[in-house]
Amino acid sequence: MINDLWILATASLVAVSCALVGSFLILRRQSLVGDAISHSVLLGIVIAFLATDSRSLPVMLGGAVMIGLLTAWLSDSLHKFGKLQSDASIGIVFTLFFALGVILISLYAGQVDLDQECVLYGEIAFVPFDTIVWGNPETGVDLGPRALWAIGIVFLIVLISILIGFNRLQTVAFHPSLAVSLGINVVFWHYFLMTLVSLTTVASFDAVGAILVVALLVIPASSAYLIAKSLKGMLWLASAYGLASVMIGYAVSYKLDSSISASIAVSAGGLLLATVLALEIRKRKRRLQPNRPVGI
Amino acid sequence: MKITTILKTVSMTLTLLFTSVNAQAQLNIVTTTGMIADLATNIGGDQVKVTPLMGTGVDPHLYKATQGDLRKLLRADLIFYNGLHLEGKMQDIFEKMARKKAVFAISSELPQNRIIQHHGQHPDPHIWFDVDLWMHAGDYVLKVLSKTLPEQSALFQTNAKRYFAQLRTLDNWVKQQIESIPEQQRILITAHDAFGYFGQAYGIKVMGLQGISTASEFGLQDIKQLKEVIVANRIGAVFVESSVSPRFIESLVKGVEAEGHQLTIGGELFSDAMGLPGTPEGDYFGMVRHNVETITRALKGASNQ
Repeated sequence: MINDLWILATASLVAVSCALVGSFLILRRQSLVGDAISHSVLLGIVIAFLATDSRSLPVMLGGAVMIGLLTAWLSDSLHKFGKLQSDASIGIVFTLFFALGVILISLYAGQVDLDQECVLYGEIAFVPFDTIVWGNPETGVDLGPRALWAIGIVFLIVLISILIGFNRLQTVAFHPSLAVSLGINVVFWHYFLMTLVSLTTVASFDAVGAILVVALLVIPASSAYLIAKSLKGMLWLASAYGLASVMIGYAVSYKLDSSISASIAVSAGGLLLATVLALEIRKRKRRLQPNRPVGI
Repeated sequence: MKITTILKTVSMTLTLLFTSVNAQAQLNIVTTTGMIADLATNIGGDQVKVTPLMGTGVDPHLYKATQGDLRKLLRADLIFYNGLHLEGKMQDIFEKMARKKAVFAISSELPQNRIIQHHGQHPDPHIWFDVDLWMHAGDYVLKVLSKTLPEQSALFQTNAKRYFAQLRTLDNWVKQQIESIPEQQRILITAHDAFGYFGQAYGIKVMGLQGISTASEFGLQDIKQLKEVIVANRIGAVFVESSVSPRFIESLVKGVEAEGHQLTIGGELFSDAMGLPGTPEGDYFGMVRHNVETITRALKGASNQ
């Protein structure tokens, strides 16, 4: 029972963190940056391994965060200074990094089992087993899952950043030219957001695996985008969609004995589909009743 | 009247419950691969109930856990895993679980000088293809089982003795089979380097297109080198593996044929997982026998032409 709670808590924190940064990504049309980071971290892992000759988690995480930041920053810079489309610049950076990683592996580490699946991506089902123990490993106090702590800290950073920078992030997202004339450092806030994205994705990869992170970055925020009337509303709705996907998905995986992360991702997709359908039905109903007063 | 019937039903239900609990008094063992499950079943006999996490044809490098796997691990009395990084990131989890639960790596007491090391400190995990080394792993399983259920240790000893005798016969048979291949043709070419221990134990040179990890890609140099070896030694067959996509090996065959050398695919070898339960290849014996027969038939057949 306690194990189910640990899993649900970790997944929920991942879902809300991803929903919050994902909402800004959607507005900036860069939602696939998460997917890009999931590939380009290979380069970070390989470089970290070649530099330290170790496959331990802190080393791998360090390499992944660095390359994650670089991916986000570079694709943003290519878009801004190289005048390329934002989707194209993301595609260029992550394929380049991934390919560099593959070349480095075949040059220097061909005989070692080294890929992000095996050394970085976590499995949410095993979150309860990987706990932090205070003091002696045998007798110390069990402080709960390591992944929960990591994603909890990242969640707090994301939450506080958005609370503090909400007005600026909002102006930058919707009225970039107004932001410039108001004297807001637009470049700083862009890179600030990308740093949040990179932190969130890498911490979540370690906790729950790649596919779930990519899904939770894009899908709940998209569902929220369809119905929200304001940025604040969108952030709340995206978090709610993320949490609902976690709960439904976990129930599904329990019932079907399936992969937890895949079930949560599918549930998020199901909720998006339901939202699209509900909106469509409402639109048709309105068309059939032209005299009905327009309300929300 | 009514009360007695109710009492009767209650007592009957209780007896039923009790007997079903009693019938489940077997030691509940969870293993990662099918090969380890096979080992634990043969030594534990009817005192154990063994469940492998990775099913048929599952590549351990790419295994995905389900919600049920979590429950299986929680309910297990004893967990065996391969170790040597075969289970990837899961190994960290097992090492942490070992603080609170009975979790053991079957490779933990193998003779160090027989572990193949890549790049200094990165061991090759595919220990099961050296039958003698696998018996060492079996010794460890026996030790753990006897410690867990001391009152059954005599039975485990008998089971292990009988099973190890069979493995010894198998080991000798494999040696004979491989020795029957002409020396020049004793080169085994497969999709990835899962057969390092097999080569070391039985004197057959092993070459792979991919590295250890099934996710890494191969380079043009690798293909060129392999082609040269194949043509120079007049090797007639290369092999595909059950848990790795065959397209890499197929493209190698096409490449060599383009140079006018006759090369066939010698058959499918079981590398990281065993065959379907119920088929001859569904247990460790059948898997090894299938691999060795496939290898000798293909390599000898080619040299007779």
